[in-house]
Amino acid sequence: MPKVLVVAETKNGELKKPTLELLSLAKSMNLQAESLLIGKEVSSQADLLAGYGSGKVYVADDAGLEIYNTSKYTSLVADAVGQSGATQVWITSSETGRDLTPRVAARMGVGALSDVTELEIDGDNITATRPCMATKLVQQCRFTKDGLRVISIRAGAYEAEEASPETADTVSLSIPEGDSRVEVRDIQVEESNEIELNEASIVVSVGRGTGGTEGCDFVKPLAGEMGAAFGASRAVCDAGWMPHKHQVGQTGTVVSPDFYFAFGISGAIQHLAGMSGSKVIVAINKDAEAPIFKVADYGIVGDLFKAVPVFQEEVTKIKN
Amino acid sequence: MEIIVPIRQVPDVALNIRVNEGKVVEDGVSFVISSWDETAIEGALQMTEELGGEVTLLGIGPERVSEALRKGLAMGAHKAIHVLYEEGQTDSFGYAKIMAKVMEGRNYDLILTGKQAQDTDAGLTASMLAEFLDLPQVTNIIRFSDLAVDGMTLYRKGDHGTEVIGIKLPAVVTVNDSLNEPRLASMRGIMMAKKKPMESLSPSDLGMGAEELGLQGSMTEVLKFEKPESRKEGERFEGDETETVPMAIQKLVSEAKLAV
Repeated sequence: MPKVLVVAETKNGELKKPTLELLSLAKSMNLQAESLLIGKEVSSQADLLAGYGSGKVYVADDAGLEIYNTSKYTSLVADAVGQSGATQVWITSSETGRDLTPRVAARMGVGALSDVTELEIDGDNITATRPCMATKLVQQCRFTKDGLRVISIRAGAYEAEEASPETADTVSLSIPEGDSRVEVRDIQVEESNEIELNEASIVVSVGRGTGGTEGCDFVKPLAGEMGAAFGASRAVCDAGWMPHKHQVGQTGTVVSPDFYFAFGISGAIQHLAGMSGSKVIVAINKDAEAPIFKVADYGIVGDLFKAVPVFQEEVTKIKN
Repeated sequence: MEIIVPIRQVPDVALNIRVNEGKVVEDGVSFVISSWDETAIEGALQMTEELGGEVTLLGIGPERVSEALRKGLAMGAHKAIHVLYEEGQTDSFGYAKIMAKVMEGRNYDLILTGKQAQDTDAGLTASMLAEFLDLPQVTNIIRFSDLAVDGMTLYRKGDHGTEVIGIKLPAVVTVNDSLNEPRLASMRGIMMAKKKPMESLSPSDLGMGAEELGLQGSMTEVLKFEKPESRKEGERFEGDETETVPMAIQKLVSEAKLAV
């Protein structure tokens, strides 16, 4: 009997949307699912996991788990797998997930399939589709040997349903010591109350065409007015105009919103690889030859500094 | 400081990639060092320039991989190991097992490599290797500091900010391309690369049998490659922004159902 263990993710003590997507997916496939909740002061989230269909919720709640720690988190997943008898482990393909997934797989002596965008499941036979070659291609993969299936799934690949908390059946896990060779000291957080890039349905993003921090700050309020997350190209982040937390791209955050507005972004390959999953792409760029226009559903050739105030006016009209 | 940089040779993803009957077409493909591995080579060179020591490159694959290794040597790496591997499709698990075999009996302070390879974008091999070798790992670093032979401070791009991590060596570290801008090989570097030591090994030299190689040694397999449905250019608006923007937004609302 297949049984999925979903590794839950939280931010500021609340479950993140991709976790709800994974539980909703398991439910839609009629798969038995349990979950693992790791963090600091996260125990209250167990009931919401239960509401989303989690059977038992394995909880590891400790100050030392607030910041991601490979060794501690890997040990906890192994512990939860052992106790739950899970045959599959599903992890979101976030920065945490990208580090955790292969370590867990290797710990358990099995392989992994990462950054999956489509899953076909027949018991524990899994065929997974995942992007490769900077999303220029997709590959269809499967597990070839018996054993635990470890998979990481892209945020936004599946939809989360609506659900409410129900009383959870929780199991407390003992907190591992961690690897003494690694000291997770601190986390430098840039800003915290903004909409997360990989959960937003609209992203407003800026590129080199903004010319600097001031140019980026000129566009940023539009994101707030649209209820959008604010993103930036790698060039903008590397130049120090915007913090890296905003970076959209293969080495930034991969996003798949309903609408992606690209202001002054030319469309470098690794950037396109990070947003080509958007449903609708709108590009605003002075350069009619910019590669981004080849993938834009709506392309505005023009000066972003002139366009932004007009956008703001139009958005205000829509809201009223 | 002794650093080994496993590198992957990949098709140049900036160019057109073709698929025929579910397989990637290699004919006429331009092969390059995977971009994140170039970042790792640069990082390793900077570290040995500061602390002394040598940078060794490791490549696994067919004959053509030696060209990628020479390019890395031309950047300034000191020596290379080529595991001549022609056993067909292998997954990250299989690659990591081969790398672990190479590491047996060799002592490196640091295994430094790209966070993922540009062909698979899987990002699995380095962490699996770290587990097989029982080494600590830190992935996706954007900066390092307090460099010493027995440890350093690493800055990792995490989900909620930059994670600051102290690590004791030996360890496995993977890099994000924000770490540095890789140097270009000079003419002199290219000439010198030809004379730098390149050790050639076969899987049987490593004591690996057929059951540990190719599909037999893998845990997953690729059934086929496909081109995804490509996006086509949609509508273009040119002219005065006070006219084009409202027109575009009107279409976004009516056609694409934009709601704010």
